[in-house]
Amino acid sequence: MRKYLSLLMAGVLAVSMLGGCGSAFDDGSSTGAAAGDGGGAQTQAGASGETTPAAAGSGAAAGGNVIHIPEKDEFPTVDCQKDTEFYVVPLNIYDRLVECEVVDGVATIVPSLAKSWDISPDGLVYTFHLRDDVTFHNGARFTADDVVYTVERMMNPATAALNTDFFSMIKGAGDMLDGQAEGVEGVKALDDYTVEITLEVPFAPFLANLATPSCSIYNREAAEAAGDQFGIDPAVTVGTGPFKITDWVLNDRITLARNDDYFKGPAKIDGIELIQVPDENTQKLMYENGELDVVDLSSSTSQLAYFMGNETYKDNLVTGPEAGNYFYAFNLDMKPTDDVRVRKAISMAIDRQTILDQMYNGAGHVVNSMLPDGVLGSYDAQEIPYDPEGAKALLAEAGYGDGCDLEIYQKTDDPDALAINQVIMSMLGQVGINATIKQMDEAAYLSERREGNIGMTRAVWWADFNDPDNFLYTFFTEKNTKARSINHKNGDVYQWLEDARAMVDEDERMALYQKIDTTMVQDEAAVFPLYQMDHIVVVQDWVKGFEIPWNGWTDTSYYNVSIER
Amino acid sequence: MLKYIAKRVLVTIPVLIGVVFMIFVMLSVVPGDPLTVMMGEKVKVDVIERLSVTMHLNDPWYVRFVWYLWDALHGDFGTSYKLTRSVSSLIANAFPKTLMLAASAAVLSWLVGIPAGIISAVKKNSLVDHLFMGFALCGVSIPAFSVGMFLQNLFNGILPVSGFASPAHLILPALVLGWNAAGTIARLTRSSLLEVLEDDYIRTARAKGLAPLPVILWHGLKNSLLPVITMMAIQISSLLSGAVITETLFSIPGIGRLTVDAINGRDMPLLQGTVIFTTAVIIMGNLIADILYCVVDPRIRVEGGK
Repeated sequence: MRKYLSLLMAGVLAVSMLGGCGSAFDDGSSTGAAAGDGGGAQTQAGASGETTPAAAGSGAAAGGNVIHIPEKDEFPTVDCQKDTEFYVVPLNIYDRLVECEVVDGVATIVPSLAKSWDISPDGLVYTFHLRDDVTFHNGARFTADDVVYTVERMMNPATAALNTDFFSMIKGAGDMLDGQAEGVEGVKALDDYTVEITLEVPFAPFLANLATPSCSIYNREAAEAAGDQFGIDPAVTVGTGPFKITDWVLNDRITLARNDDYFKGPAKIDGIELIQVPDENTQKLMYENGELDVVDLSSSTSQLAYFMGNETYKDNLVTGPEAGNYFYAFNLDMKPTDDVRVRKAISMAIDRQTILDQMYNGAGHVVNSMLPDGVLGSYDAQEIPYDPEGAKALLAEAGYGDGCDLEIYQKTDDPDALAINQVIMSMLGQVGINATIKQMDEAAYLSERREGNIGMTRAVWWADFNDPDNFLYTFFTEKNTKARSINHKNGDVYQWLEDARAMVDEDERMALYQKIDTTMVQDEAAVFPLYQMDHIVVVQDWVKGFEIPWNGWTDTSYYNVSIER
Repeated sequence: MLKYIAKRVLVTIPVLIGVVFMIFVMLSVVPGDPLTVMMGEKVKVDVIERLSVTMHLNDPWYVRFVWYLWDALHGDFGTSYKLTRSVSSLIANAFPKTLMLAASAAVLSWLVGIPAGIISAVKKNSLVDHLFMGFALCGVSIPAFSVGMFLQNLFNGILPVSGFASPAHLILPALVLGWNAAGTIARLTRSSLLEVLEDDYIRTARAKGLAPLPVILWHGLKNSLLPVITMMAIQISSLLSGAVITETLFSIPGIGRLTVDAINGRDMPLLQGTVIFTTAVIIMGNLIADILYCVVDPRIRVEGGK
């Protein structure tokens, strides 16, 4: 009897497992948002004519007019006040007061939710005139109060936002963050469609700053009602953007559907599917199957050579410069890079053009400044020469005529950094520098770097907003230079960085930034700029209008993209 | 029997607490804090200093340990740093997918492994035997990622190679996991059946004039399956704790994927949650195996007491 029981138990186990799986599959039909769109709709008291926008387009996933994009990591949240990394959803479901777009080849600030703005002569007061024809996905009308709410939500300690620094220059913002004030003094709704923002001190990049995803405008009613589910539950996460988020199956896919009531007119595609495909080879297979429409090769680098070397895909590659530079950062507190001659010698010993040609198919160009081309303030910097003999002479002058040891730091899981570090190791060896690579686990690397304790390391910075401040302030202020393990002690530079923020004259401001850049790169050689890469994306034949945005990000708006089969 | 089960279940509690304790100690020794990892390159010193205080990250680990246990006893396993959702909801969400995959792989391995083992045992040292056992050996020894990538390339365009949208999406990952499990089961069935077929009562049954097939299936198989069933239970518990590589390769949002993400992201609450869950699953699997053993083998039952 017991023998049969054992078989029975095994059988029951198997059956119960199968039975429990009926609900396991995530088919596209289980949209939590279909109900949410109707149920969550709010009718504005003042705007009696305005009711729920049609939930049309929710069935986007079923149609063939949808863009499929692979993602390697799951997004923490699509509330971009609480995330510093994943912006593709925020860029498509929310709008900002202003946007940064390429106009006639130049990245320019253009109107969006604000149709125009005035700036006081002292650079302190910004008055935004808002559009009066914008509605959120829940049907609520967009007003100045939503702007006030957005700023206050970011600064509310209860929000625990990660991007507070995008609004921290507003008057009274710091008080709210410290729990000293109920609201932000510097943000006022003058009427329904005018909002006035006063800054603590002039901050010239303020408009560029407002164009970042982190400054997306939220709806007060919706976000307050959603609480901590905002950005997580698709049914309660609303914006004004050309798409709305309709479904989110964790670690599987996020579905966006077209917002037919978008104030600039509906988008050309029915929707976007962001599919979790962590494995790069799987991404390639799915692209070849036609299951993916757009694959970002710059973040799936193992597939880059395959696509670039294949004639079939020649016309499918879309490229554009990244608004970011790769560089080596030196630690000025550590031997031997505490000596400017050693830093210059290292720079002169490295042949950047060869690295670019050999390792990256020449997809980019060598740079000599921290400010990449295409970003405001970029200029023709003096070339840092490749001169191994000169490097040896400098080393001898610094007392290292017999050679010296050098540690190059990097994260463990960074094959790209490892590859280039190995190449420069041998280049440095030729001038008598005995370099070794020190690999650290990511968490240790970042926390040690924050304490100013890591040595020479390869770094990269991409623009958040289009201003030299974003590059130079991030690395060279007194506090940040330590947090980046550069540790330069040039007090003039600290002061200039603060001065530049308050300058109203644009030409003077740019001239000062160039002076800062020249001081740090050419004179102090605190950093050694390498190259600016081209961003490479492969798109299917039927995808039209896909362009690399001004900042060279993967994350971009799909408003202007269409599908023509 | 009931007393035995109750005792075994009670023993799991200190084991779980010990596991949590070890994770706490280990993660407090390594440098780095979760906020820095969360923000990566965009690390902002002010924000990290501020949030470390609000999130109690500056408290000593033993204080956080006690709070964690207290909350866990109340059913609150914390909120994932990286995915900003409650840990229990994340596990509840991922488990059905892992369960589905584990069940498919297990059933596949039984349907293939047991018959293959029987045929090999009956046709000992024949070409079929060598073929089956060679195949089983490959299943046991080739790592999942190479089998997985091979199958993906082979079936690309015919079967879905990524995701979890339909039963068809399960075929390839279940094959990868199932092949491995089937290999073990086939080899075990073969050796166990061979041993039994040597026994006196089989000779007696044959001497009685019974047809060969009933002898093998009824008298032989029934008695040789005992170790195989135990192995099945153990295999299921390891499948349920998440097939890390297979789930990543095929983009299946299960427990294995969740655990890897938690480790990479230094996501303490999520990591603790998945480890506790995995530990519990494995303990349960072993418990079931032990009970099955008692049930099917009278000798152990006598020693283990009533």
